[in-house]
Amino acid sequence: MNCDSVKELSPLYLYGELAAREEDDFEQHIHGCAPCRANLDREKSLHQNLDRFRMQPPLQLLAECRRDLFRPKPPVSKPTFGQVFSAFWNSLGMGARPAGALALVAMGFFAARLTPREAGGANLASVTGEPILSTIRSVQPDPSGRVQIALDETRRRMVTGNLSDGNIERLILAAVRDESNAGLRVESMELLKDRASSTEVRDVLLGALRNDPNPGVRFKAMEALHGMGSQPEVRRTLSYVLQNDQNPGLRIQAIDILTQQQDADLVGMFQQLVTKESNNYVRQRCQKALEEMNASVGTF
Amino acid sequence: MAQPAAAVVSARLAPKVEEAELIRAVQQGDQSAFEALVRSYDQSVLGLAMNLLRSPEDARDAYQEAFLRVYKNIHLFRFDCSFYTWLYRIVTNICLDHLRKRKIRKEESAVVETSDGAIDRTYALEENRPAGDPERSLWNRQLNARILAALEELTPRERMVFELRHYQGMRLRTIGEILDTTEEAAKNCLFRATQKMRAGLGDFA
Repeated sequence: MNCDSVKELSPLYLYGELAAREEDDFEQHIHGCAPCRANLDREKSLHQNLDRFRMQPPLQLLAECRRDLFRPKPPVSKPTFGQVFSAFWNSLGMGARPAGALALVAMGFFAARLTPREAGGANLASVTGEPILSTIRSVQPDPSGRVQIALDETRRRMVTGNLSDGNIERLILAAVRDESNAGLRVESMELLKDRASSTEVRDVLLGALRNDPNPGVRFKAMEALHGMGSQPEVRRTLSYVLQNDQNPGLRIQAIDILTQQQDADLVGMFQQLVTKESNNYVRQRCQKALEEMNASVGTF
Repeated sequence: MAQPAAAVVSARLAPKVEEAELIRAVQQGDQSAFEALVRSYDQSVLGLAMNLLRSPEDARDAYQEAFLRVYKNIHLFRFDCSFYTWLYRIVTNICLDHLRKRKIRKEESAVVETSDGAIDRTYALEENRPAGDPERSLWNRQLNARILAALEELTPRERMVFELRHYQGMRLRTIGEILDTTEEAAKNCLFRATQKMRAGLGDFA
């Protein structure tokens, strides 16, 4: 392989997309050629700059998208009052408009006089004076001509207390499991991070680290578990993260915690990752960890 | 009926077998299973659309369109590829359509010209917080502008392959499956894209 082809192939090398034979030739050339090594370093720095350009969608946008997608659609679209009014107004000739306006004022006056003050509204909050959120689940007419409406009501309550209070901790643990609100999960996890020694809290953190779809939440869980790298359950989850998490930052943090203590069981996993990990930096970290453990980098 | 769906919801990110159960439940019309399936993937779908289209409005449209297509066509999903590949095929097609239309209209999406060069509005939104180091901030803005300009030079297909490989970390074989092409063709496309990016970034590279 000559310098020109090495220069051309360096992006594919960094992506780990060269065939094994090509990769060997590439590395052999790089070892003996200082200008090509310098060029590869430039290419690496280009990669790093491009990495910084990645955008995470704002959680607010994600929440809006979900709301739009799952919002129940009305079966028939009824014209709004504005549409009915403008149709009526446009149908009047210029000469008839003052008379039409007068008729509308009169209608408004009589309607206000004749409508009972406590008309049953759909907004329950205004009826009871309490802050209640209601969602109508079904509407069904019954044979007597009445209507049966099933609705879920959510009443907001403020609860205050110390973190050491079991009830408060249970509420925060429930918030950590709230699938609809990643921001709430992050904030709750922040509160729990000093309480990771409790088995229940630790299990929730481990569950979030394995399964939470939001990388921010997984980072928070990892942070909370940072001092617990010696516990077998934590190490198992960290090994899972290192092998399966899509986020390279999390994989790197998993290496950091796992390598805080000598563990011969890590050698096999690191050796495998050196061959199959797609992120160069993570791969290098595995390689370095193996070197520090005086273990062979390759598998034979 | 509600109970199995709830159980499926809680198994959102569990192994493939459980995902298959979820998909079968959606095929039988289970709404909560559909919601769970969407929530498993929608953040990465939105991320892909946002990175490719660089416009929150367009990304939002792509998100809606993609999941509505999934809902309408899930009965056609036969498990002959992973759901992930099938979903990404839908999303990438929608995003490619957006990018192609944009190329034809020469539309700039979120990119606006300023005295510092081209700036991504979506980035400007995020970088409104006070910067600690003005020199570094200026350098960052210039770098972002150069990267944007270089990305604009890529064809929609090159842009897609580059995005999937560099930012989504997918292997070229998977990219080939998603874009209905060979691994070799995806490799060539990535190669052209990186050449153009290198040329476009000049001294920043």
